[in-house]
Amino acid sequence: MSDQHSPVPRPTDRGAWRLVAARDFRVRLRDKGFVISTGITLVVLSLFILARAFTDDTRPSFDLGLTGNDAAAIEQRADQVRAAAERRGVEVNSRGFDDERVAEAALRDGGFDAVLTKDGVLLGLTSVPPVLTQVVADAAVRGRLTAALEAGGATMGEIEALLGQPSIEVRTLEPQDPNRDENARIAFIAVLLAYGQLFGYGVWVATGVIEEKASRVVEILLSAIRPRQLLAGKIAGIGLLGIVQLVAVAAFAIGLASVTGALELPATAVGITFVVLAWFVMGFAFYAGLFAVSGSLVSRMEELQNVLVPVNLVIIVSFLMSLEALQDPDAPVPVIASLLPFSSALAMPVRIAMGSATAPQIALSIALLIAGTAALIPLSARLYAGAVLKTGTRVKLRVAWRSASAVGLEG
Amino acid sequence: MLELTGLRRTFGDLVALDDVSFAVTEGHIVGFVGPNGAGKTTAMRIALGVLTPDAGHVRWRGVPVDAQIRRSFGYMPEERGLYPKMRVLEQLTYLARLHGVAPTDARRRAQETIEVLGVAARAKDRVEALSLGNQQRVQLASALVHEPDLLVLDEPFSGLDPVGVDVLSGVLRRQATNHGVPVVFSSHQLDLVERICDSVVLIDDGRIVADGTIGELRARRERRLFLVDVLGEADGWHATIPGVELVDTTDDGLVFELGEDVDEQRLLDLARTSGDVVRFGPVHPSLAELFREVVGHE
Repeated sequence: MSDQHSPVPRPTDRGAWRLVAARDFRVRLRDKGFVISTGITLVVLSLFILARAFTDDTRPSFDLGLTGNDAAAIEQRADQVRAAAERRGVEVNSRGFDDERVAEAALRDGGFDAVLTKDGVLLGLTSVPPVLTQVVADAAVRGRLTAALEAGGATMGEIEALLGQPSIEVRTLEPQDPNRDENARIAFIAVLLAYGQLFGYGVWVATGVIEEKASRVVEILLSAIRPRQLLAGKIAGIGLLGIVQLVAVAAFAIGLASVTGALELPATAVGITFVVLAWFVMGFAFYAGLFAVSGSLVSRMEELQNVLVPVNLVIIVSFLMSLEALQDPDAPVPVIASLLPFSSALAMPVRIAMGSATAPQIALSIALLIAGTAALIPLSARLYAGAVLKTGTRVKLRVAWRSASAVGLEG
Repeated sequence: MLELTGLRRTFGDLVALDDVSFAVTEGHIVGFVGPNGAGKTTAMRIALGVLTPDAGHVRWRGVPVDAQIRRSFGYMPEERGLYPKMRVLEQLTYLARLHGVAPTDARRRAQETIEVLGVAARAKDRVEALSLGNQQRVQLASALVHEPDLLVLDEPFSGLDPVGVDVLSGVLRRQATNHGVPVVFSSHQLDLVERICDSVVLIDDGRIVADGTIGELRARRERRLFLVDVLGEADGWHATIPGVELVDTTDDGLVFELGEDVDEQRLLDLARTSGDVVRFGPVHPSLAELFREVVGHE
């Protein structure tokens, strides 16, 4: 207290939420729990990736069966495929079959990764490794071009027409088994991460609210700023930390997977990471207010679990529906789950990763999620403002709603 | 000037505040006293906007208080509260920022405030690691760190040691006198209130029962008490004057209550004829006595 009373400028309180966000971000970044949970996530992912790197179904070498009646034609196609494989830095060993059924039996026995029929259909058991599909497609295009050129040249238009043809048809003998499909694998990790992130950071919002209530610091804070600013800052700060962690973990995982060769298509993983991130941001915005309200109803950490039951339940159900999507992304339950705002944050990234979400579905999902969030925010803000200053016993929602109109606090 | 006008607040059936009005003017320290549950905390929480009244207004410099104005107030709630795991200096810097202090000034202000309150040595400690007395000082620092335009302190002296009491008294006095900050604080330590407050607001059962300087409160008293100490007196020497009643016998002498029309000089004359008068004078009731009298439950 200097006796010189320098007039302190009083800027508007517009940026108050940013101060709150910065504190919440910083405090939690240094929190032991954060460091430990990040460490555990990285270790588990590393183990998963290394395990995949050392099991051999990601070897850069494939066995391909070729069917046809003409041994010379088979030999020629085998050469084309081999050349295409070399250009992609993988190895393809091929064997010819004159009987398609024998080839299929060999495929079922697991002796081959895929069979290319004489009609140009690429046949897998439950899936075809994406790299192999590309190799075969390259070879097919090149074969067509070569044939056209050998037949006396082609005009630019003809060449473009050839390039534009559907490159290759992929079929499987059995329905797709997600465990064998790289995209599904990435989608599985993605939904686990999204679930953990949504849940973990949501709980963090709730504990942050209770912390301030239990320590009574909230009364000091709300004598300086408005409840809405405190709420927004807390959600923004914790959400930002969630994003940073998600990006860091994904970058680490994709980097490690690329180096060890566990991923065939790192670009796909990067794309899916962005999808998960986008839906995490939207989903977190949707759920964070509910977590905050739940936290604001009680004054002691011990009561947290009870009060979180409703929100937890909704997220767990969403998670289970997302797991359904891994089995069959086009079944009604996953499709509906990927559209509803409370579950789309978990279900939609899976369906996108599995390549089953259509553009209108994605657009609808985003629109509903944003609309749902926009509807929830004022609701949450009001309940939070009404409950957060009531210490003691658990606050009833009705009481929080009513006293919010009284506490008002000018939003 | 902070004006509370016609505040009413109920909690269910309980009427916590009933038509409460008083004002705190620039440069004045107002003691807010009353029994437990009288409504002091409720009134202060309303002044700070953490509770809304059912009726009535709070005005600051003639304008209804809004969030923007409230930001310049300094507040110490009844329920103390700080982030237990945050370090002292960091926490005060943060709170200063929340109150709108510029980033470059916030840290300096925090440092100055803990120096004044004598907790500078604990700047880097977590709040939870401090003794209760020091936590209390940090709590006070949080009310002062942003150079508030108004101070509203709920029981700021409770839990402070005598040195802390002196430090805080000095701080409040300087805030009021040097900076013209209106200060209102509640306390049950009435001797303290009497010593440092310019005026007193007495609340009982949700109503303001007295409001004024201590002198004014005394003057408003109807009873006229005089202390007389006579050496070698005979018992019952005073009995001959009508309208004089012995109300108390203390070590310092006898306390008489004089009727309205009784001249105290007559009592003195009588005393002098009874023996050597070593003490004679009006009895100024302490705030505690006034309090008991006005509040009336003892």
